[in-house]
Amino acid sequence: MATSIKPLNSNLRSFFWRESELEMAGKRDHTNPSALLNKIKDFTRSLVLDLSNGRSPVVTLGRYRNHCSDPTGNCGCGSDQCKGVEVISLQREFHARRLDVLLRVLVIVQKLLQENKHGSKRDIYYMHPSVFSDQTVVDRAINDICILLRCSRHNLNVVSVGKGLVMGWLRFSESERTFDCLRRPSTAHPVPVYVEDVMDIVSVAKYILVVEKEAVFNRLANDRFCDTNRCIIITGRGYPDIPTRRFLRLLVEKLQLPVYCLVDCDPYGFDILTTYRFGSMQMSYDTIFLRIPEIRWLGAFPSDSKKYQLPEHCLLPLTTEDKRKAESMLSRCYLQQAPIWRSELETMLQSGVKFEIEALSVTSISLLSDEYIPSKLQGGFYI
Amino acid sequence: MSSSSSSSSSSSSIQKLCRNLIGSAVQRCRMSESLCRLSVLVKQSVESDRPMVRITISDTGIRSCLDFKQYIAYLFVYFLADGVLTVLTTGLSDEEIYQYCLNLKEHVPSKRSTRLPSRPKHGQKFSGTEITLCTYESINNLVAGFTCFLQKMLILKIPKVAVELVVDPANFSGTRCDNLFIVGEDIFFSSTESNIECLVSGFKDYVLKHGNTLDKQCQSCFSNSCVNDYDLIKIGTACDSESLRNMEEVVEAVIIMTELPESPSPSCLRASSVATRVFYFQNFLLCPISPSLLSSLASIDWKSFGLNVKSSAIDEDGHAVLEWENLPPYSHIYIAIHCYQKQYPFHFYAFDPVLILHRRIQFGRNLIKRAVKTAMDDLKEKYEGTLLSSHALKIKNYAPDLAHAIAGLILSSNDVHFQAECMSCLQLPPYETFDKKVEDCIREKIITAIQMNDRNPQRSHEAAPFLFEGESSVELELEEDEVEEGSASWDL
Repeated sequence: MATSIKPLNSNLRSFFWRESELEMAGKRDHTNPSALLNKIKDFTRSLVLDLSNGRSPVVTLGRYRNHCSDPTGNCGCGSDQCKGVEVISLQREFHARRLDVLLRVLVIVQKLLQENKHGSKRDIYYMHPSVFSDQTVVDRAINDICILLRCSRHNLNVVSVGKGLVMGWLRFSESERTFDCLRRPSTAHPVPVYVEDVMDIVSVAKYILVVEKEAVFNRLANDRFCDTNRCIIITGRGYPDIPTRRFLRLLVEKLQLPVYCLVDCDPYGFDILTTYRFGSMQMSYDTIFLRIPEIRWLGAFPSDSKKYQLPEHCLLPLTTEDKRKAESMLSRCYLQQAPIWRSELETMLQSGVKFEIEALSVTSISLLSDEYIPSKLQGGFYI
Repeated sequence: MSSSSSSSSSSSSIQKLCRNLIGSAVQRCRMSESLCRLSVLVKQSVESDRPMVRITISDTGIRSCLDFKQYIAYLFVYFLADGVLTVLTTGLSDEEIYQYCLNLKEHVPSKRSTRLPSRPKHGQKFSGTEITLCTYESINNLVAGFTCFLQKMLILKIPKVAVELVVDPANFSGTRCDNLFIVGEDIFFSSTESNIECLVSGFKDYVLKHGNTLDKQCQSCFSNSCVNDYDLIKIGTACDSESLRNMEEVVEAVIIMTELPESPSPSCLRASSVATRVFYFQNFLLCPISPSLLSSLASIDWKSFGLNVKSSAIDEDGHAVLEWENLPPYSHIYIAIHCYQKQYPFHFYAFDPVLILHRRIQFGRNLIKRAVKTAMDDLKEKYEGTLLSSHALKIKNYAPDLAHAIAGLILSSNDVHFQAECMSCLQLPPYETFDKKVEDCIREKIITAIQMNDRNPQRSHEAAPFLFEGESSVELELEEDEVEEGSASWDL
């Protein structure tokens, strides 16, 4: 068993970083299991080396933001460059805990990659539930590991149970399974979890419609909207999960179709809209791979209440929380790139009322399918 | 021999007077700069119906220059049996022994102090002072009090001063003289020992005896073979000084921590309390601690040593008592503080015992606090893993889990070369596969790193090294719990 033992490379860290910088310049190339396992080993080596030299283990993570409150918009938020670093060491107790969780999850990730298996975040949580105490703790550790290894979550073989739905003029395969929506365009299918395995995408759709809520999705399915409109409809059922956003982005990239978004006319609907377009703060390290800058806001706009003569009882006053959230969003730097969106949000705040998309159905149950969406698309009433 | 503790003898006013008389005797001895003896003789007289005790405090130091006329008023607070305090004193160059008598029962102030005819020295060269007073106080109480007091005074191991306590109970079996203790070991006469070295030595002896009056150390806890055991008794010292009003004030602090491996046996002589009694000496005299100084001591950042003060108080003997909330089992902390002026500006105390009672010098509280803290730091620095801060103790709790995870990363890897590299770095056999051995090794290294950080707190404030070189030095100050709005409800 004589094996030559290589000395630990003290330049390991710089190698690690520079390689990652290169990756971030474009598409990540070094995210296959073998490359990631090497990165994990490099990371472990650095910990062992530190300890052997009497130093506390220290982990330095790049910090990313997808927005800030810089009014100039020249802050670089949402780019692939980290905005500073976060040093996790044993100087603070909560850092020790965070490091403990990170390392525990990393052990699991290493096993998943070595065995070429997939596990859900929930699977990971249940491996040490008393230690993790909460799913969000695991989520954060996974994000930390993604930042550390410069990869996306799916590269770690960590998946989540997709909650998105899709229907319309689309066919694709995922691994061995074929999703043939073309046969019944108005039948809902779950968004695939292993988006990286999606292949053979075929579509005759003219556009993609993203709807915020499952209820609206079901309304359109019930109205057989896709039977008469060549489109693909996707819902993330509220705030979109990663598979939904990745799948949507894949469709947009592959099919080069325009994409429109329909959300409630309230601050949460607006926030969901911006999540699709600009990404989320939590996943900001991966924003460039998840956001869809091409997305257009189809509605509902504050002005739609008058235009479609919504009755007064459908207009609900903005709560204090709504106002706080709207004001907070107004200061987000990325809205400098979408001044009309920002203006609509201001209008919403000034009007002091909000309404749901379902309110459009108050006069006619199929107004959304028959009139609202077609007229908006035909008239170009989207922003 | 009794092994009574100080608490058994509440200090009477007579005892307080005697303590100050002993204090001034100490100063006279120190100023003589030659070998001196300080004797306390307690003799019971049965001549009258009411037993009276005669106390004689004598020393071979320099001559006393008592000016009782000025301060005699203070002495009226003390109740003497016959109301008389006699003083004999002489200097080396004197040809006679001066004799004074203070009659506290005398109503005419001018007649209270009387100089009696001097005694001849017959050409002999010696110096010294002898003060005698009588009291109706119980001899047992007095002996217990003196024993306790002198025993604590011995903590200082004042160079060149031997101390003895002689008791003559004059019981019915005839005159018997019990020499309770006499201390004059070699170290006392060494002129090379600094004050703090003497204090450390004396305090260590005290600790080994658990403060009992026995001559020997507690065999139950400290056998001869392990007296110097690194783990059993740990000492931290500090000597700090500052100049104030053209006088250099010196504060010496000695901390001794004992950590017994197991519960003391029933034969252990230590009192069961885990509280720390702080011995406070001022100009070579055991003194009661002031409430403000107690407050200063209690305000030390004890948490940085892993300690929580549950309560702080001043006991009946005037000692500060710090009760700990979380002292490790079978551990005890002893603290001694000695404040003195480097020169002898207190020479007048040597002549005037009364001044000591009423005009205490206020040493800088911050200086004292700093010295104690420095002594704690010294102990922590010298003994790895001792007195870890509360913060470090909390972080240390993560060491097993962190070690388990790091060992898991190594051992669950399917790359044997990588494993061998790590084992080499950990100085383990290249193909060590025994999980626990690897884990234990890593855990020890983590604990060592935590201890190093704790012992060098200033280092923890320095920027942590980057895992990746060349990265931005900008560190965003984000709150630990920073979570984006709605983030918990999405990204599932």
